[in-house]
Amino acid sequence: MIAVTGLVKQYGTFTAVNGVTLEVKPGQIHGFLGPNGAGKTTTIRMIAGLLKPTAGHIVVNGHDLAVEPEAAKASLGFIPDRPFIYEKLTAGEFLTFHAGLYGIADAGITPRIREMLDLFELGRWRDELVESFSHGMKQRLVMSAAFLHRPRAVLVDEPMVGLDPRGARLIKDVFRRMADQGVAILMSTHTLEVAQEMCDLVSIILKGQIIASGTVADLRQQAGSADDQLTPLFLKLTGGSGLQEIDEII
Amino acid sequence: MPAAAHSAPQPFPYLLLPSYWSSRNRARRREPGDLPRALLFGAVALLVAGSIFYGAFWVTLQLADYAELGDYLIRLGLSWLFLTFLSFLAFSSVVTSLSTFFLSDDLRLLLTAPLAARRLFHARFARTVGQASWMVVVFMAPVLAGVGLARCAPLSFYAVAVLTVVPFVIIPVALGSMVTLGLVNVFPARRARDVLMLMGLIFAMSLVMLMRFLQPERLMQVESMPEVTDFFATLQSPITPMLPSFWAGETLFASLQGGSDFLHAATLWTSALVSVIAAAAAFERWHFTGFSKAQEARKVRVRQWRLLDVVIGTLPLRAVRQQLLVKDLKVFLRDVSQWSQLLLLMALVLVYLYNFRVLDLERIPSMSGVLKNLYAFLNLGMAGFVMATVAVRFVFPMVSAEGPAFWIIRSAPISLRDFLWSKFWTGLIPVLLLSECLTIASNELLGVDPFLKRVAAVTIVFMAFALVGLATGLGARYPRFAADNPTQVAGSYGGVAFMILAVMFVIVTIVLVGWPSSVYLFQRFRRTPPSSMQQALMAGSFVAAALISIGTFWFGMRTGIRALEDMDRTPS
Repeated sequence: MIAVTGLVKQYGTFTAVNGVTLEVKPGQIHGFLGPNGAGKTTTIRMIAGLLKPTAGHIVVNGHDLAVEPEAAKASLGFIPDRPFIYEKLTAGEFLTFHAGLYGIADAGITPRIREMLDLFELGRWRDELVESFSHGMKQRLVMSAAFLHRPRAVLVDEPMVGLDPRGARLIKDVFRRMADQGVAILMSTHTLEVAQEMCDLVSIILKGQIIASGTVADLRQQAGSADDQLTPLFLKLTGGSGLQEIDEII
Repeated sequence: MPAAAHSAPQPFPYLLLPSYWSSRNRARRREPGDLPRALLFGAVALLVAGSIFYGAFWVTLQLADYAELGDYLIRLGLSWLFLTFLSFLAFSSVVTSLSTFFLSDDLRLLLTAPLAARRLFHARFARTVGQASWMVVVFMAPVLAGVGLARCAPLSFYAVAVLTVVPFVIIPVALGSMVTLGLVNVFPARRARDVLMLMGLIFAMSLVMLMRFLQPERLMQVESMPEVTDFFATLQSPITPMLPSFWAGETLFASLQGGSDFLHAATLWTSALVSVIAAAAAFERWHFTGFSKAQEARKVRVRQWRLLDVVIGTLPLRAVRQQLLVKDLKVFLRDVSQWSQLLLLMALVLVYLYNFRVLDLERIPSMSGVLKNLYAFLNLGMAGFVMATVAVRFVFPMVSAEGPAFWIIRSAPISLRDFLWSKFWTGLIPVLLLSECLTIASNELLGVDPFLKRVAAVTIVFMAFALVGLATGLGARYPRFAADNPTQVAGSYGGVAFMILAVMFVIVTIVLVGWPSSVYLFQRFRRTPPSSMQQALMAGSFVAAALISIGTFWFGMRTGIRALEDMDRTPS
């Protein structure tokens, strides 16, 4: 479970995140949507323990991140938008190292690594250097690492960037299965179709504040729209489509 | 799905495994040019280490003749050596820890893992000690070996040397890391890096100039022996005994004499321990805040350099080339790590010119004229090597500097020929101006023959075209788009290949220009005109030098343009 209360992040005089409160329950996939620069990645990086919040509380699986950072992180998986992997390690070495970081590098880890590499279709690349991987393959390797230690909550920042349709399908299936097994997933994305297809709940953030939250049906009600699709709803909530202006300019 | 059972955390060296595995994998997978590069660098390293060893051995042996004075000088020398390294280590650790603790990419991975802050500190600290001190250790080893062998020191001296160097490097690295921790908590990390980079280069620049203007050559004169003691004594001050360099020097000197100095050895070790404990506590308390700040505040005030737009706009160049030039210059001027190296270059140039100013050739009046002209050729050769060095550092990496943004050039409606020519001109003008000023000024200070002045000035123009063309072209043929910094590009296979070709080119050019010039001067000295055969050979030699320059330039640029046009992968 991920519970965030009154989260604030200020950069000097600029407030990037302003009082964000949200909760992702076990088994839920929570979509975190918003235009560029709205504060999605900053929020996710604070929950992952990469940025220090100016104010607010973050609790992961019952552990306050500020008080028990190690316990909170041990049950959390993080998939960043731009994955960093040691380029000169092989996929297998990277996962072994990752297992050690999470304190699970015992004798039984080898089958688990093989299992994760196979799940993300990287089995035959186990002994290849990461530097030879495409962006999509690196993304899948990072996901293998994120799920390796069987986290109870997962943070995902833009999961579909650089994935081919097969890879994207695979990721959607994996996330759904994980959620079905009780993992709480908070996922930021720009791809509204993905959010609509996968998420149980959606929160929309704009200028650092959550402006709408709920199921797609709830959002439709909040926006006063009869549209079934999330895209027009999102545009309406975040400031219009701008299509008229585009026509005028063109 | 059950959560994985967590075992006891691995000890901190576990976090160093990726570096070890990466090095092992890198060593296993040979890349083209690894062998020649290893041979070249290995040979240079052996030569340097051998020279240092021999120098230390010889000096110690000579000092043995002076009995007590010799001992005193060795003692002072050791203290001075450690003091020099201490200042280097202090500065190097401040810069290194900025990267290892705050800017390194893998921190994003490590900080999301359930790692205790102290474990992370120990791992990063070990890495900082290694990165900041390896150069000092590599330099110190042959010095201490030379001193030990010359004094027939017991084996325990070498063991004590190891046990002294370890705490000696730990203390400044711990203190330097704490300084960085403080800086990062006050300034944004990227700004702090720029400030440190600039401070470092100014420090290096001042050190080079100070060392030169102290005129150490005076110490080589026998009549100035009393000055030697004064020279070293000035380096002692009341605070010196409070520094780890003094403790290390004293410990080693005692061991060199076959004795032991437990007081200073214990002071070193306890200070090292205390500084590590203090640093660990400080990092535990403030590292995350500093790291968090390092992720923020990327906004810095940017100089617009509008004058550059205006000036380049007036140049008789096509709009595309103007824009490429503006882009390259602005990127260069906004990167402190790039332009600040020019300061060091300026310092070296000043020292270079100063050497000519203080050159006392009149001490041998009969040889003065010959020596001056001989020095003029040496000067030309030196200018060639300076050009090659500047070219490999600043011109060779210019194509690689496009990095992942090279797709912009490849997908734009401009020819790659235009692109490379723009790089060539950007590199040529400063290199030509620098080397031409250097040669003219030093020849003027030497007072060489006017004929040689003209020959040197013209040769420099040809050499500049050839070396910059070669550097630009080979830089395009062997690009390293993924390199972190230009130094890495300069040290790549292509960079080494360029240096080998450039050195060969400079030597051949000096021979081809030097021979006819010396014949001309010799004939003039004898007051007989050269024979027509000699004249023909002289002209042929000058023409050959010019053709080799043109050929080198043409080969370089053609290779580069072809390589760019044939490139089948664009970094993205």
